[in-house]
Amino acid sequence: MSTAPVETQKPAKITVQGLRKSFGANEVLKGIDVQIGEGEVVCIIGPSGSGKSTLLRCLNKLEEISAGQVVVDGFDVTDPKVDINEVRRHVGMVFQHFNLFPHMSVAENIMLAPVELKKATKAEAREQALKLLDRVGLRAKADARPASLSGGQKQRVAIARALAMSPGIMLFDEATSALDPEMVGEVLQVIRDLADEGMTMVLVTHEMGFAKEIGDRVVFMADGVVCESGPPSELFGNPQQERTKEFLSKVL
Amino acid sequence: MTQEDERDLKTPVSTGHSWPRVRALLGVVLGLLLLLGGVGSAMAQTSDSGVEGKTFVIGTDTTFAPFEFRQDGELTGIDMDLIRAIAESEGFKVEIRSLGFNAALQALTSNQVDGVIAGMSITDERKQVYDFSEPYFESGIQMAVARNNDDIKGYEDLKGKTVVAKTGSEGETYAKSIAGKYGFTVKSLDQSATMVESVKSGSAAAVFDDYPVLAYGIAQNSGLKAVTDKVPGGSYGFAVNKGKNTALLGAFNDGLAKMKANGEYQKILDKYLADPTAAAPSTFWDLLVKSFPALMSGLKNTLLVTIISFAVAMALGLLAGFMKISRNILLRGIATTFVNVFRGTPLLLWAFMFYFGIPQLIGQPINIWVAGVLTLSLNSGAYVAEIVRGGIQSVDPGQLEASRSLGLGYGKSMQKVVVPQAFKMMTPSLINQLIIMLKDSSLLLAIGFAELLYQGQQIYAANFRVTETLLIVGAIYFIAIMALTKLANFADRRFNK
Repeated sequence: MSTAPVETQKPAKITVQGLRKSFGANEVLKGIDVQIGEGEVVCIIGPSGSGKSTLLRCLNKLEEISAGQVVVDGFDVTDPKVDINEVRRHVGMVFQHFNLFPHMSVAENIMLAPVELKKATKAEAREQALKLLDRVGLRAKADARPASLSGGQKQRVAIARALAMSPGIMLFDEATSALDPEMVGEVLQVIRDLADEGMTMVLVTHEMGFAKEIGDRVVFMADGVVCESGPPSELFGNPQQERTKEFLSKVL
Repeated sequence: MTQEDERDLKTPVSTGHSWPRVRALLGVVLGLLLLLGGVGSAMAQTSDSGVEGKTFVIGTDTTFAPFEFRQDGELTGIDMDLIRAIAESEGFKVEIRSLGFNAALQALTSNQVDGVIAGMSITDERKQVYDFSEPYFESGIQMAVARNNDDIKGYEDLKGKTVVAKTGSEGETYAKSIAGKYGFTVKSLDQSATMVESVKSGSAAAVFDDYPVLAYGIAQNSGLKAVTDKVPGGSYGFAVNKGKNTALLGAFNDGLAKMKANGEYQKILDKYLADPTAAAPSTFWDLLVKSFPALMSGLKNTLLVTIISFAVAMALGLLAGFMKISRNILLRGIATTFVNVFRGTPLLLWAFMFYFGIPQLIGQPINIWVAGVLTLSLNSGAYVAEIVRGGIQSVDPGQLEASRSLGLGYGKSMQKVVVPQAFKMMTPSLINQLIIMLKDSSLLLAIGFAELLYQGQQIYAANFRVTETLLIVGAIYFIAIMALTKLANFADRRFNK
């Protein structure tokens, strides 16, 4: 199994070395090496069960790391002395199923972290929440309950919530997979805007077209390893690995 | 000074005071615990010389009419009148503690009371551990039937019939001793009042009980009549701990002798055992009005003990519930043990344990409220822990992940995100638990906690109107629980919208 070299010209924002992750006897990540530079947008693609989401979840330690090293924004998240909560404030995460807090209003969802982590007073946090809602085009829904929103709206609120602590990195875990097709566009537009602003982003996605359009680099994973990675034009236009060709022939 | 009454030694094995064997057994177990704990007589000692001007703590039963019972809230009866009169004539003071028969004896053993007067038979077994006064009452067994029953006039009319007697009492022993000869069956019950009801309702043909108990009931319109001569039984005595309080015992004997001589003694007996003709039946309304204050005070105690216990159970249950989902194996183990122990043992056992058992071990009486709250809250806490665990586990794990991914710690995430959602799901179960607790609090009557059903028992033990009293008590419980349910559901809608 060959691992294509992963290199980047920009200073590294995320460095993953020899990352292994097992669930019981099942090894899901079998030694991953990836570097992601500042301002880079990296899309991870691959068949289901290849370990894409697990890799993403290791970056902010939602999964315990079995072996290897993950350095995010200068913090070694595998070091038990590192305050993982501090690291997570620098890393926003958006989930497939939104995971909005149903007992809070839209604005309260966004205000929770800034207020509880004493980064802002309630008034300041609300001010900021409204600005974030402006960015995702949902200011009018500030006082609505999540249950009253459409899927696309929910995911836009979730993105606004992830941005509330002004993270330097955003992680998207299949952010459009649970959406009805007509709602995918509005969410992708928000992500596109973030990319244009220079946000460092890692996206696990099934939207190949979007990965091609937005990604500075595409990483193809299969069976717990990085099979191939490169600029979208190369990876989609001229894949080097058999496994990659086979996958792309199925999804494109 | 010890009184070794000749007559007592000749008395055949007496089962003594009429109480359930369960309690006697418990007493034995607790006695063993006491021995094991090595906590003996280390408590209040009273000087052995002279009694004048001193105050003695006297333990007694809660209800054993006509010897001790409550009338309009006041403790009264032959024992009470007797000890108060003797105290007055001998110049000492008494502080009566209505503990329940078994608890009174335990308290005497551990010197928490100075003496016990509780319609207690003098037996050889008891003489091993207590010193008894001269007998102050000669008891005996009598058989009674329903007032309108003209078929049964003696034992020979009992063939093929069922009679009732009180568990562990002399009446039971006697009835069983002649059951074969006359061909009847003996069924054992726990309370005088329920025995009377059995006979009146026809489920038993006759009752065998201590004659003063029957006589008092008949005087109170229990609806029975005595049909046989009394069979001589045990003698009742006043007891102090072995070798202790000899002056008090002496004073009791002295006072008793004086009262017998001047006729005071007979007056007291007549007051409670007089002929039934006097008592007139009263209406249901009279009963309701008369019993209402006592029942309301019972309801107040029921509600108060439930509310306090539920608050404690919530705190315990939240703690144990969180411990159960903790990653720490020790915390999980502790919580699981707690839940298993209190879900796996009867509530009543813990009531006895906290009120009778633990005090023996630590040599300190435990306040009945403390014992009651411990009993209810530990039991309920185990159930609340499971409700909490289930509630938290029913919240989508993605909620915790989302909160943690924002940089909130585990505790904050639980507090702000998971628990509010879990609580919403737990509310109906918690309301249910509260209502179960309110009903279970009635079990505390077994340790003499003056809650609603206990007050009802006290009332029908004195007036024998079991059905009507229970109906009133049931209606009060029902109304209280309906009100509580409405209130809880209102709060649920209000806070968990």
